[in-house]
Amino acid sequence: MNQFITIFKKELKDILRDRRTIIMMIIVPMVITPMLIVGMLKIQRMQLEKAKAKEIRVAFLGKENAPQLYQIFEEGEKIVLIDNFPVDSITASIASEEIDGAVIVHSDFPAYIESDRQGKIEVYFKSSEAYGSAIKRMTDLIESYDEQIVEERIDRLSLDKDLFDAVAIIEMDVSSAQERIGKIAGGYLPYMFILFSFMGAMYPGIDLGAGEKERGTLETLLSSPANRLQIVLGKLGVVSLSGIISALIAILGIYVAIQMIEDIPADMLEVILDMLGFRIIITILTLVIPIAIFFAAVVLSISIYARSFKEAQSIIGPANMIIIIPVLIGLLPGIELNAKTALVPILNVSLASKDLLAGTINPFHLVEVYLSLFLLAGIAVWGCVKWFNREETLFRS
Amino acid sequence: MIKITHVSKEFKLTKKSRNEMGEAYRNAKTIKAVDDVSFECPPGRVFGLLGPNGAGKTTTLRMVATMLKPTSGNITVAGYDTQIDPQKVRERIGFMTGQTALYDRLTPNEMVRYIADLQGMDVTEFKSRRDQLFDVLDMHDFANRRIARLSTGMKQKTSIARTIIHNPEVIIFDEPTVGLDVMTSRRIIELIRTCREEGKTILFSTHRMEEVKLLCDDMAIIHQGRLFFCGKFEDFESQMTFDSFEDEFIHMTAEA
Repeated sequence: MNQFITIFKKELKDILRDRRTIIMMIIVPMVITPMLIVGMLKIQRMQLEKAKAKEIRVAFLGKENAPQLYQIFEEGEKIVLIDNFPVDSITASIASEEIDGAVIVHSDFPAYIESDRQGKIEVYFKSSEAYGSAIKRMTDLIESYDEQIVEERIDRLSLDKDLFDAVAIIEMDVSSAQERIGKIAGGYLPYMFILFSFMGAMYPGIDLGAGEKERGTLETLLSSPANRLQIVLGKLGVVSLSGIISALIAILGIYVAIQMIEDIPADMLEVILDMLGFRIIITILTLVIPIAIFFAAVVLSISIYARSFKEAQSIIGPANMIIIIPVLIGLLPGIELNAKTALVPILNVSLASKDLLAGTINPFHLVEVYLSLFLLAGIAVWGCVKWFNREETLFRS
Repeated sequence: MIKITHVSKEFKLTKKSRNEMGEAYRNAKTIKAVDDVSFECPPGRVFGLLGPNGAGKTTTLRMVATMLKPTSGNITVAGYDTQIDPQKVRERIGFMTGQTALYDRLTPNEMVRYIADLQGMDVTEFKSRRDQLFDVLDMHDFANRRIARLSTGMKQKTSIARTIIHNPEVIIFDEPTVGLDVMTSRRIIELIRTCREEGKTILFSTHRMEEVKLLCDDMAIIHQGRLFFCGKFEDFESQMTFDSFEDEFIHMTAEA
């Protein structure tokens, strides 16, 4: 026991002095998490504002056939109308982004409208254009023109508006605000802390296994009175702790991000902060602990097998992609926590966290998740200890 | 005292290593790194294990230090069997290799404390032994500087201190002077001599004949896992048929 504590304390001190570990374990989750959340929102908002503020150039052909529509376009914000544009060059001009769109009202349009039939207006646009907003702005204006015509027809014929709007849907959402937000945000939170509990464990895991081999210190350690079990457990303890700290910092990063987003409505902010309450965070943390131990055991096993730091890095690096797949599956709509999914490692953490945040967790499924996770962590630790006891692994050349 | 009796060590061969080792090993499942080796290292004497690279020296020393288990035969260190009481053995040995084998992010002080803690030394005993070693090796000036920032000489001193901090009765040196400059090599040679004067058991592996001549009381020549000579250094010298040690060694191993 004493040797286990000695190894644990030394390894912890050692990795906390490693700049790479500090960056991956503390700086990245602390900076990346808020940056991802706040940055994505800001970029999205900026794109929307940019799209709104952008002046679009629209060729309007056949203004004499729909003068009212032409007027609506003229009054539209940030729209430059071009008359008499050669019809043959419309497609090429939009493709080359010389103009953003075109509206063509053919000469038979007035006849259709006057006879209370449906008139057709052609709208040209390029959906792959930078902000994709020209089509929306043009159709919005045409729709308001359409509404004017319909209203005029209803008045003229003395009809009731309900004739065209037979059914009104009144939505009665029984889910609480927490459930709604939990189901949406709940998928992304586990994404963050599962990823970080792996990334946080990665460098210490490589350093305490392959790094030890590379420095030649493994022989010093193996020739000390500490037995292999104590050595592995001491190392595993530190690597797991690094993953857990990293995941915790990622959660802290989410708090910071929420505080940084300026325009969250007060009631929603309250729900979010309630959702990230102490009890839920502690419960989620208890899910992170076995998964972090599992990651630590896997990383350390690979690391102790590798001949060098570089070799370990080249094997463990791509594993990032593997662990993220079950997390991404957890984000898909329709994938729910049930008796079967509760047994799938990583995916079960993702789904359980989602339900925990939404407040809709089934306690039986949660117990199942815990059992499967602790079993998984146990098997991984057992495997790691066995692996560490193999001469072929330790002295692989 | 180290007693090695009919020790052999086989390693499994992977497909890759079979291919790398050529036609002779094409169908082999194992390779014998050490083959029926027996010798004794008594206390107060330096035993030199001499052999070229890949002869089986490191494997033998690793078995003595309980890092590897012999496939057959047995080894006792200070009266304890390496397979029955490996922990008791490890409590009584110091292991040093050519690599300084230090943790760059620790200080020399922390490094020796780590080994002392693993050895279960009590604080007072540790402090007095550390001060004594730091005095002898003149380490006080850099005792609290990170190892990564130390010169090779300083690192080597730290390595010596961590090897003997727990005052082991058996010290194993695995090619400790490989790649070292003359000054640092001399420090290691001095350390080995001091340990001999203190009555410790010293097992020392090298591929350099001049080091054996300089240091060893007893010696064994190992090649392709087998011993070709085992006895007192003077006996080896008297049996020599060639003028130089190198020629004698080459002749002896070539006959194999």
